[in-house]
Amino acid sequence: MGVSLLELTGLTRRFGSVVALDGLTFSVPAGEVVGFLGPNGAGKTTTMRAIFDLVDLDSGTVSWDGHPITAADRRRFGYMPEERGLYPSMLVGEQLEYLGKLHGMSAASAAAAAAQWLERLGVGERATSRVDALSHGNQQRVQLAAALVHSPEVLVLDEPLAGLDPTAIDAIGQVLVDQAAAGCCVLLSSHQLDLVEDLCEAVTIIDHGRLVASGRVDDLAASGRRRLVVRVEGDRTAAWASGRPGVTVSEVSGGAARLVLDDGVDSQDLLRAAMAAGSVTEFAFGRRRLSEVFREALA
Amino acid sequence: MTRALVLLGVVALAALRIWFRRRSRGARGRGASWRRSGSPGQSAASGQSGARFRPTGPRDLFERAIGDVGLVAAREIRERTRGRTFRFGTVLILAAVAAAIVIPVVRSTKPGAERIGVVGAMPASLRGAVVAAGASVRTRVTVAPEPDLTAAKRDLRTGAIALAIVDARTIVTAKAVTSSDTSAGAALERTIANAVSLHLAFEAAGITAVQAAALARSTPARVTSLAPAPTHSAARPTSLYGLILLFILLQQYGTWTLMGVLEEKASRVVEVLLATVRPVQLLAGKVLGIGIVALAQAGLVVAFALVLAKAVGSDLLTGAAPVELLSELLWLLLGYAFYCWVYAATGSMAERQDQLQSLTFPLSIPIILGYVTALVAASSGNASTFFKVLAYLPPTAPFAMPVLVGLGGVTWWEFVASVLLSVAATVAMARLAAGVYRRAILRTGRRVALREVFSKART
Repeated sequence: MGVSLLELTGLTRRFGSVVALDGLTFSVPAGEVVGFLGPNGAGKTTTMRAIFDLVDLDSGTVSWDGHPITAADRRRFGYMPEERGLYPSMLVGEQLEYLGKLHGMSAASAAAAAAQWLERLGVGERATSRVDALSHGNQQRVQLAAALVHSPEVLVLDEPLAGLDPTAIDAIGQVLVDQAAAGCCVLLSSHQLDLVEDLCEAVTIIDHGRLVASGRVDDLAASGRRRLVVRVEGDRTAAWASGRPGVTVSEVSGGAARLVLDDGVDSQDLLRAAMAAGSVTEFAFGRRRLSEVFREALA
Repeated sequence: MTRALVLLGVVALAALRIWFRRRSRGARGRGASWRRSGSPGQSAASGQSGARFRPTGPRDLFERAIGDVGLVAAREIRERTRGRTFRFGTVLILAAVAAAIVIPVVRSTKPGAERIGVVGAMPASLRGAVVAAGASVRTRVTVAPEPDLTAAKRDLRTGAIALAIVDARTIVTAKAVTSSDTSAGAALERTIANAVSLHLAFEAAGITAVQAAALARSTPARVTSLAPAPTHSAARPTSLYGLILLFILLQQYGTWTLMGVLEEKASRVVEVLLATVRPVQLLAGKVLGIGIVALAQAGLVVAFALVLAKAVGSDLLTGAAPVELLSELLWLLLGYAFYCWVYAATGSMAERQDQLQSLTFPLSIPIILGYVTALVAASSGNASTFFKVLAYLPPTAPFAMPVLVGLGGVTWWEFVASVLLSVAATVAMARLAAGVYRRAILRTGRRVALREVFSKART
């Protein structure tokens, strides 16, 4: 038997005249962290809600492990919605225990798992605090614990990294990678593309409710036009490169210019032009960054 | 009545259980195989939770009895009863009930003793009549001679005497008493005024002292009615107290439901919950949990009232009063069952607390109508035809029917008919509310318009 697969097929949802999802199809394999990208309003949140049957789809199906998804399947999924939500006046530990029981755990194992996850996410000492007494960052950790407490087979996280400090991002990122390594299917949306590039093995990019790009981060980085990073001493604007046929300056940062080359462009010509402009201290082909993949996919 | 109540509760739980079992059987078909199929990384993940199997301990029996609904209800009960407001509120209600029962007893068992001032002559026959009049309204009257009217007025103002009889003809009091005043002082004043006027009338008719005594012993003739009299009707204060309590508790429990739903929506926790629980389960669990707390609280109040009234020998619980109280308890439950769905659906449509006022106002109209008409009927002791109709309409029946019971004007099958109507209406209301709730609970950003939820509630 192969790897379990969360498959979304032909998801369509209209809100009045607005098309939120327009025949969206993609899949998420178990054992990977998949980044779910798209500009605001692209339909990411609606897609994630559709996995949990929280929107009424006009058409399309969600299936898990080869069969249309059931309530019993969803019970083994974990969800962190975009708008965070926990009972403000309930104690953190009891809240997680309650959610664990709703997911089918016994009271004892839910309590044990709640304590374990709070510890792991660095908020172990807050188990007896009320949720509304926690800081934003700690609430977010508890919210993630709520999605994890029943050791789900599928984790769907809507912007889990938004608004966190770098330590929290590292901690949560590590948890997600560990979950995937343990066979969990992790789908997370984010606008922090650099983080997604570090964290995810694959990405799915959507816009206007349609799939615009998807694949493994490595493949996407290697595909497309060549990237050349050139640093010329004293040159801050890369004026020598702009205007050359087949060459686009995608960005200049810290004195290094990122050039996108069309197929017919000879890099040796470019090297000569750079040397004519000044002393060349760096000249290297680079990978396509995820932010470039994203921008080019939406262009 | 209590046995019927317990039976009703058991039947309701069993029905709920069967319903949810049937509904979730399909969905849970695969639920037994918790373990993931496949990949080698598995053991690490399942090791984290230790056991992900369904529980078997006796502690979970109640929760398992009706599955997720039980879990939701159990949380509701725990969180409700934990709050300080709840405990304080319960104590407050008990204190109010205790006061309503104990104070009249204390006041009536201390036989009222009043001094009556006499200015001028006081024939022995009148004196005897005055003392007898006092005894008839449970007041021991002592007669105190006053030297003159001025001294009598002074004593009236200080309260040393309750009233003064001047020259065996007129009566002077400190305060005017209206005809509707039912206080002990007013009753005393009326009977003494009667006694004095009778005395004057006997005098005018030239009746001897012996004849006058015989006349004074007269009692009202026995009246036989062709229609049977209501054999037991409840004491009026009991009806009124019960009604007020019913009104307060019904509104309180409705508000709990509404606030509970709104809390989940406003805090957005509902999205996390609905990812694993169906909306109708979440709603049913909340309603059930609050209902159990409500029944426990109201049952405690009624039991407390019955025991306390028995212990202190209150006459509040004579005749049909215990039956009326128990029927009020039953109707509180039925009223809650009917209204909680409406309140829950309303809560799901609100976005913030400040919208509650405009949303709940229409809900309170039938409640207030039922309450006010029931108050009028209970205090007048008369049920109009309109009121009898209200006793069969589910929104007003919770108030009207118990009062009819208290007035002794209901046969058992009329009572049952009203209960069945209410149950049927509750089922219809629950279905409608569940549809609205499902539609509205995840809509955020603005208040949900009624038109939207109803146009789609049926789809």
